[in-house]
Formats: sequence, C-alpha cells, structure tokens
Amino acid sequence: MKNIIRALRAERGWSQAALADHLGVSRQSVNAIETGKYDPSLPLAFAIARLFEKSIEEIFDDETEAQLAAE
Amino acid sequence: MTQQTFKSAKRRYHRVFWPLMFVYTIIVVGGSIGLNQLDPEPRWLQATLAVACAVPVIATLLVMIRYAEETDEYNRMVQLRAFSWGGILTVSLIFLAGFLQLFHVIDRIEIFWFGPLFFVAYGISTFVMGGRRCP
Repeated sequence: MKNIIRALRAERGWSQAALADHLGVSRQSVNAIETGKYDPSLPLAFAIARLFEKSIEEIFDDETEAQLAAE
Repeated sequence: MTQQTFKSAKRRYHRVFWPLMFVYTIIVVGGSIGLNQLDPEPRWLQATLAVACAVPVIATLLVMIRYAEETDEYNRMVQLRAFSWGGILTVSLIFLAGFLQLFHVIDRIEIFWFGPLFFVAYGISTFVMGGRRCP
C-alpha cells in the first residue's frame, strides 16, 4: 500500500528511528511500511494517523479501492 | 514499546541464542562422530545423555518464539513466516524421505539430521522474508 509517511516524516525532520520511537515499533517496521513492503495493522495505522494529525485515507493510498472503481 | 525495548529484546535473544546454537553444533558434530561410539553401558546413562543433548535445541526453539512475541508486529510476522516456511520445508522433506524409504529407493536416513535442516531452512527463510513484501 502506497503512503506518504516518508514525506510527513521529512517535514518534521525525523529519522526512521525517531518515528519508530514515537510509534513504539522497530525502525525496520517503519522502513518496511514506508517502502510498501508491509501494510500496518489497523491500530498502528490509527497511531500513525494520530501522530501526523491526519486521517488514515490521507496517509495511505488504497490501491484496491482504486482498482475496483476502475473496473 | 520503544526502540530501546526492541534493541534489548534483540540483545537478549542473541545473548541466549548463539551460546545455545554453539552447544547444539558441538552436540551435532560430537553426536555424529563421538557419542555414538561411546555407548555408555547403563541404560539410564544413555537416556540421560540423549535428553541432555536435546535440552539446548528445545531451549533454542523457545528463545526463538520468545523473540517473536517480544518484537513488534512486522518483525513478528517475518519471524513467524520464516518459522512456518522452515517447518513446512522440513516436514515436506521428512515425508519425501519417508516415502522414498518405504519404496526402498533410498536407505535409512537418521531423523537426527532433520533438526539441523530446520535451522538452516529457518535461517534462509528469515533472510528471504525480511526482504519480501508481506501480505
């Protein structure tokens, strides 16, 4: 799932480790989510949204919904 | 849970895992070369030696599961998928070897060697799963 976490993190000047610390996950997890290798659980997605004061939809791009709409 | 907690969980894992693996490797090598020929006479001594050899392996497996429980959701998924694939590969080969023996295609294989095979399969799977997209 595509997302804008890297950009949001850059805006705040946070490293992946700093963001991981805020979220209570490992740096590897932040990297995997940013690169789209791993889709976070719902609680983690909510935590990310809360931290950046945005909605989940603003941060994560639901490609499945876009594909369904195109069909 | 913070970065520090993950780091200490990882440190704790490595601190216990590697000494146990070292002991296990010594037992595997020693078991295949030396212990078989020792053949200690009393039956209870043989049983004690066998159980003592299995303890580090069981402890290693428990440490691996503890690490998977203590880490975060992404690393847990990587660990558990690697554990599953390692297990599937090992069990598949046990079935395959079993049938090959049943049909007299191959001679008897020591079950003992499937243990090291699992750890190799788990190690490779962890490496592969870490770089792959998790569904």
